[in-house]
Amino acid sequence: MSLISVHQIRKPTLPRWLRGVGWRTLAAAVLLAGIIHICATLAVPMLGPGTAFAKLRQALPVNQMVILAPPAPGKEALPFLTPDALYAICRYDLARESLLITATLAHVGWALSLHTPQGDNFYVMPAQPLRRNEVSLTLVPGGDKLEFAPSARRASAGDTTIAAPTSEGLIMVRAPLKGLAWRAESEALLRRASCAPVRR
Amino acid sequence: MFAAVALGGGLGSAWYMIEAGSRLSTRSFGPWTTWPAAGRPEADPYTRAHMVRNALLPLASTLEVTYQARTDNRGGKITSACDYTIVVEGFDAGWWSLAAFDARGRLIHNGAERYAFTSDTVMREADGRAVISLGRDARPGNWLPIGGASRITLVLTVQDAALAAALYEGADMAKPLPPIERVQCH
Repeated sequence: MSLISVHQIRKPTLPRWLRGVGWRTLAAAVLLAGIIHICATLAVPMLGPGTAFAKLRQALPVNQMVILAPPAPGKEALPFLTPDALYAICRYDLARESLLITATLAHVGWALSLHTPQGDNFYVMPAQPLRRNEVSLTLVPGGDKLEFAPSARRASAGDTTIAAPTSEGLIMVRAPLKGLAWRAESEALLRRASCAPVRR
Repeated sequence: MFAAVALGGGLGSAWYMIEAGSRLSTRSFGPWTTWPAAGRPEADPYTRAHMVRNALLPLASTLEVTYQARTDNRGGKITSACDYTIVVEGFDAGWWSLAAFDARGRLIHNGAERYAFTSDTVMREADGRAVISLGRDARPGNWLPIGGASRITLVLTVQDAALAAALYEGADMAKPLPPIERVQCH
């Protein structure tokens, strides 16, 4: 059995290229990396090129509900959007007028949702069994996040007024398809959805 | 060296946290991953950046939860070269949808024009379970075609307000998510 003397054990040494770098330089680089990390993360929502709002903006008229073509390969309105559903979307602009939003949420799975340009869903109303399925609400400008956040959890949407956190955004009605036989019915119900200007 | 550590480390770590997420912003259950704060106005910066960068328009997680899976239960990438079986059970209280996309969120072209199954359209076994087969070749039952795309992303959307609230609060899943079993590869 061979023994290793204490003198034979070599201390771990840094690579030559790293020995030339002082610990202060390394600490500064890590600190700067942290700052870049934070700035990059916070900048993406403001500078990101591909928001859902930006993708849909050109295709949608202002303050008018549009039924999108059924999702199909090469014709997806947005990535990862549930394909077994029809969608009605209104691009709202509250700079000059408020909006009266109406929709019929016919079956479980149907939902009315309001989004900011950054995709924040500040209001959502799902179809609920044993409740009236005609939804009517008024979207008005103003309000900061703290003011509007609780309204997103209201139990009823009948004649509700919602303060939008941004003057522009999207209103979406999702209508899941039960199958081909129900497609015409779902489309007819979805056509009842509207977003009409209301004078302030 | 200084610039490499600062720029590479800063941008690289930001990209990873925004694209893949971490335990700070995502929850994982087997192969399924969700961003619990998606769509919420009070979402953390990583979640907000993830949603914006990928042009997602999620419903607030006060209402429903969306899970994504890119791997099967054994950790292998989900690809169109293999067949898989997914058994969905336990989500009967609300509406759910299981859809297959390519890695960039686009639908996969197929002659059957079938891209998803929902709680309304899936055929169930006698015991209420829904057995969904993923593969490039047609088969009886709930067949979801995935041929023609190399990497597959599965998206499971579950409309269940109680489940969504529990997840956001950090609770464990009361209902197990459907396992993704690889059957065979061609």
